[in-house]
Parts: sequence; C-alpha cells; structure tokens
Amino acid sequence: MNEIFSIALIFSAIRLATPLIFAALGGMFSERSGIINIALEGLMLVGAFTAAVMTYELQNPYLGLLCGVIAGSITAFVYAVAVIKFEANQVVAGMAINLLMLGLPQLISGAVYDSSGSTPQIAKEFLLPEYFNSVSIASVFALLLIPVCWYVLYKTPFGLRLRAVGENPAAADAAGVNVVRLRYFAVILSGVLAAAGGAYLSIGQSSLFTRGMTAGRGFIALAALILAKWKPIPVLIACLFFGFTEALTIPLASYRLSSGETIPVQFVQIIPYVLTIIVLAGFIGLSRAPKALGIPYSKEK
Amino acid sequence: MKTKIAIFLICLSAIIFSSCASQTEARKDCNIKVGIVFDIGGKNDRSFNAAAWEGVQRAEKDLNVCLYDVEPGNPTSIEPAMRAFAEKNFDLIIGVGFAQGPIMQKVANDYPNINFAIVDGVIFEKDGKTPKQNVASLVFREHEGSYLVGMIAASKSKTGVLGFVGGMDIPLIHRFAKGYEEGAKSVNPNVKLVTNYVGVTDAAWNNPGKGKELALSQIGQGADVIFTAAGNSGLGAFDAVEQFGKTNDEANKFVIGVDSNQNGVKPGFVLTSMVKRVDNSVYDVVKEVLNKQFNGGFHVFGLDKDGVAYSMDDNNKSLISAEVLQKVEESRRKIVSGEIKVTDAMAK
Repeated sequence: MNEIFSIALIFSAIRLATPLIFAALGGMFSERSGIINIALEGLMLVGAFTAAVMTYELQNPYLGLLCGVIAGSITAFVYAVAVIKFEANQVVAGMAINLLMLGLPQLISGAVYDSSGSTPQIAKEFLLPEYFNSVSIASVFALLLIPVCWYVLYKTPFGLRLRAVGENPAAADAAGVNVVRLRYFAVILSGVLAAAGGAYLSIGQSSLFTRGMTAGRGFIALAALILAKWKPIPVLIACLFFGFTEALTIPLASYRLSSGETIPVQFVQIIPYVLTIIVLAGFIGLSRAPKALGIPYSKEK
Repeated sequence: MKTKIAIFLICLSAIIFSSCASQTEARKDCNIKVGIVFDIGGKNDRSFNAAAWEGVQRAEKDLNVCLYDVEPGNPTSIEPAMRAFAEKNFDLIIGVGFAQGPIMQKVANDYPNINFAIVDGVIFEKDGKTPKQNVASLVFREHEGSYLVGMIAASKSKTGVLGFVGGMDIPLIHRFAKGYEEGAKSVNPNVKLVTNYVGVTDAAWNNPGKGKELALSQIGQGADVIFTAAGNSGLGAFDAVEQFGKTNDEANKFVIGVDSNQNGVKPGFVLTSMVKRVDNSVYDVVKEVLNKQFNGGFHVFGLDKDGVAYSMDDNNKSLISAEVLQKVEESRRKIVSGEIKVTDAMAK
C-alpha cells in the first residue's frame, strides 16, 4: 500500500480541497444568516470564468482573481435581491443561478474569443504561483482563512449578529440588528469566497476556463458544509476529507490487489456522497441547520 | 410571490436557451444544408470536436454549403436539436460523439429520407445487425494510432513508466489505452502503464483540474510520458508536465495529445499527438451528399487511409529520433498489411 499513501497524496488532497474550502466557507456565511445557498456552483463558475478571462487579458493573476471575486459578488447580489427583497424561493433561485452560469460564460466567450467552450490558455508565468511545485498560494490562503472565519463568526459583534439572524431574525431585529442589510452582506460575502474558489480552479489548478469546469464541486462544498454542521473548523476537516477521498481514488484506480484485480474506482468515488447521506440521516450526530434557514424575513410578520 | 418566481425563471431560461444553441446565420444561395450537433465538449475543445468543426468549416468554404451548428449545453438538448434540423429537411445531419448514438438511432428511424452521419458511433437497423442505410457511421481504428504513439512513448521514456489519462471511463477510451499499452510493450516489454480516468459522467471531458491531478499523481509514480484522451480535461495534463520544466532545453516530462494536432499547445512538452482525422471524414461525407453519392453504413478509418496517425511538425521533430521514426513507420506498414494485430478493446 506504500505506493498509494505518500506525501504527494497529502498535497494532492490539499489541492483538491482548496476550492471546496473557499466555497464551503462562503456557503457558511450565507447559511448562518438564514439564506440557503445552493448557488455555490454557479458562483464558483462565474469566478472561474471571469478570473480566467481577466488574467488572460491583463496578464496578472491577482487582478484576475480580483475581477473574479467582483463578478462573484455581483452575481451573489443579484441572488440576494431575488431571495431577500423579492422573497423568491431560495432553492429555485439558487438553481437558476447555477443554470445561468452553465450558459452565460459560454455565450460571452463565444462572442469575445469565438470559442464557445473555453477561454484561451494562460501562460504558466501568469498563473497563481505554486510553492515546491505542489502547494498553491491559494491553498495556503484557504488554510489561513479558516481561523479568520472562526474568529469572525464567534468573536466579533458581526458574527454574533449573523448567528442571531440565522436563528431568530425577529428577536435580532427587536434587538436592533438590521436583518436585511446583514443578510445582503452575508450573501455577497459568500459570492466573494465561492468565486475565489472557482478562480483557483481556472487560474491556479488549471490554466483555462472550460464550461461547467466546477463539475459539481459547489455541491460537494455544500455537502461538506452540512457535514461540518455549519462550523468553520469542521468545514476544514470535511473539505480535507472530501479532497482526500478524491485524491485517494487516483492511485487506487491503477492499484492492483495481490490477486491481480483492481478496485472499482466508482466504489471509492461514492464515499463522500454516502457519508453525507449518513450524516443527514442523523447517524453521526445530529446536523442541525440554523433555525431560520430558508425562511424569508419581513418585518410585518 | 409565485408570479415573481415565474417571471424570474422565464427571463433566466430565455438567456440560457439563447446561449446554449448558437447558430450561424442563414444564407440563401447554397447547394445543400448541413447541420452539426456537437458533443458536450463543445466545438472549441482543441481536440475531438474541434476536428469535426474544422472539417465542416472547410466544407462550408470549399463546397458552398449552408452550415448550422448546435452546441448542446447538456445531453438532453441533443435530441431536440437533431429533430429541429430534420424537421427543416436538412440534407445532412452530423452528430459528433458516441453519446449521440442512441439518439440518432431514434431520429434516423423517424426521418428515413434524410441523411445522417455520426462520428464515433454505429447505427444499426432494428434487427441490430444490418447497418442503417440513411446513416454513415464514421468510426476510427484508434487502437492502431495509439499503438504507434505507445511505441514513441516507450522509446522516449527513461523511467519505463508511462501514464494514460482517459476522459470518461467508456469502452471507446479503453481502446486508446489498450493500443497504447501494446505499442509501448512492443518496444519495451517491461514498461509499466499507469491508467486513470477523469470520471464516469460527461463532466469528465470538462475537468482540467482533475486531469492535472491525475497527471501529477502518475508523474509521482514515475511516469515521464503521459498520453491523454480526455478532451478539455487533457489540457490539465499539459499544465502538469510543463510544471516539471526543461533541462538542457529538453522537457523532463512529456505529454501526448489526442484527436487534433496538439503539438503546438505547449511546444517542446508535447511528444506527438494521436491525430484522428475527424475533419477529413466529415468533409468527405458532406462532399458525398453534395455529389449525390451518399453511402450509408460503416466507414472505418484506420492507419491505411490516414484516418488515424501520429503528428510530426516543427514543434516535435527534434524530440523524436530518426531511428525511432523508422521503427514506427515499419510497424505502421505491418499494421496496415495485417502482420501486426492490435487488440481492439471494443471488439467482443
């Protein structure tokens, strides 16, 4: 088994977990404020696309990342208007964002690059730097973000208000918290973080945007968030676990048992999903969502 | 509340549909109308779909045909697109990719007077044996081309370990892997092949991040030449080998491209490409329809008709020695003559 477990596997797990950490933390802020965010996939895509285009045009990954994050926050703002101001169903509106971002980047890249499937490849020197050829600057940043988010959520007045709004918005409102403004801020913040995760995919891990390149990572991030019971440190553990199982499938696919047979990769690939179902079914402790999650808030009620 | 959601969704779906099906503008004075429905990878995947796109574009220019194309955003929009072309009495409808086989089977049945062509798929009559008369099934002997690039890879490898990054885990891609392995073993019987697939759904063609991870893992296991057959995901493997840089002006790790000539994607890092002349095959079908010589049934493109080949150009000519090329050419002749039999992983 030594050929499977190695240092390279750990690095691989970290790289695969990086976009999940960003997106899951983004989802955490939104959901802690009471807004379901299944738009993470779409927000990652818009971040990935904008970052790839702007990095290619400006030849600077940091500016590209910035643009990606801005695009993510604008998209999240649109989502926030739909679900907070107009009280649209959060799952439906989130799904709409996801579907929109499957098509919109294609439309734009078709118009700009005459290439509907993908953006041009970015030269290696303009991508986010990697240390020792294995750890991206984004991964380091993602790991640093965990304690920061923990601090913000549990040790700042903002974090306290955020949690209060997610649990009991009416009480928070009575205590003088501006529920609507706080929810807007939380959703936009989730757009920023999810877009950063997407940007890592297109200008860090790979060198171009291709359509639907997140390939379900937004939903895995959501699963990690639920698995982690909406708490930052467990989010890190859940994302690393998902990254690790994905990394593990790679050497396992070519690994031969002593009998000469291979292990079906599909078997390993289902682990994260099975685990999420087990958690949701309440086997590994209860995963309790913020009480006001998914319920629009209006003062009149 | 409900009306608001409804309006919101209608607006969004309008945008989505307009972006999913991009069609070229109509021209009136053309000889025949050709519709092409691409695979999920999209026409600019620099690989398989791009080759088909090049072929029909060439036909549009040379033969004065009206060309309409659809890039389905998801697998469910393939059938409506194909039927829309058939409803409008197109002269030829081309489907790109194995996934369209079952769909074309149905559509071609419903429109027996319209000519169809499918790349990488085979369509039978209802009895399951005779090839369907109004469909040209364009299939390639990928294992033969893969055998030759396998020889080149094994000759180049210093470690004796080769990598293979496949896209979706399907029999068609196993065919590339098997031919590659046999070619490599013919040069060096002790060669070790590390095989990985990006996934089991069509998202596997559009996941370069995962493609890169697979390549990095293979390099970690000693691989120094990696053959990709994974559409856009394969481009991740190109990034992976580039990371290992060059010593004395020669790359430390190499990648082998697929379908289109990808030698120029990362010059110096691409050993060669296993080219599948999808472009020529679709061009020829268009020409046949134009000359009223359309032939239904199977059209098989192997090494003999240059339907598959390994690409040599200025980007890679310094990477492969004349000696190796000579051996490869010899094997090519032997495969064409039947002296060497390459296992076809799709044959039962």
